Amino acid sequence: MESIEREVTLPASPAEIWPAVSQPEQISAWFGAEAELDLRPGGHGVFRWGDGTERPVLVEAVDAPRRLTFRWLPFQRAGAGKVMTVPSTRVDITLEEVPEGTRVRVVEGPAFALRARPVPVDSALEAIGS
Amino acid sequence: MKRDPTDAIFSALADATRRQVIRTLSEHGPATATSLAAALPVTRQAVTKHLNALAEAGLVTASRQGRERLYQISPQPLTSAVSWMADLGGRWDERLAALREHIASSKRRK
Repeated sequence: MESIEREVTLPASPAEIWPAVSQPEQISAWFGAEAELDLRPGGHGVFRWGDGTERPVLVEAVDAPRRLTFRWLPFQRAGAGKVMTVPSTRVDITLEEVPEGTRVRVVEGPAFALRARPVPVDSALEAIGS
Repeated sequence: MKRDPTDAIFSALADATRRQVIRTLSEHGPATATSLAAALPVTRQAVTKHLNALAEAGLVTASRQGRERLYQISPQPLTSAVSWMADLGGRWDERLAALREHIASSKRRK
């Protein structure tokens, strides 16, 4: 139960799907939250839900049109501005060309890595300030 | 800063020895630090430290047994950790279904 994995095959090429998983305005159309994302390794982003929850992310890897990896930073802001700690998981989205189109694979986890892979303090502080 | 209980649970479980302690307790039932240390490749002192961390996260509870404390798993927090993982999976099921729709509708627009 360390990570969750999900896969879908979509009838489109990786190049057609890439903008949907990497461009903030397109992510916002399906993710369930408004996305803001500085699409480069080390770039910051924030996801805002309808209830006012905000979760900051740190982009770890970008390899268009194949892979986007980002990490949820270990805290979130609730609607009322309250900050609370949450598990810091990594989201790895990969696009692989298959005969039917593209296999989109999402791995999120591991939930246990909280201490094993600490988030750099600089990034965390910068994200709080942003 | 307030701490999400799930976060405290995952944080306590981030350590491989602590996961082993939980596994041992779940397989063999309640145990003392001494008997756990005999079953695991760590000292009694180390086991006691790990048990304290697990107790703080609410994952184990202790009761007195003579001069020693008897530790046992408290199932509810583990259940909430499992359901957190299930929620996570459920959210991605929804998102990927929405992504499929999004891709289909942008292809239709072309």
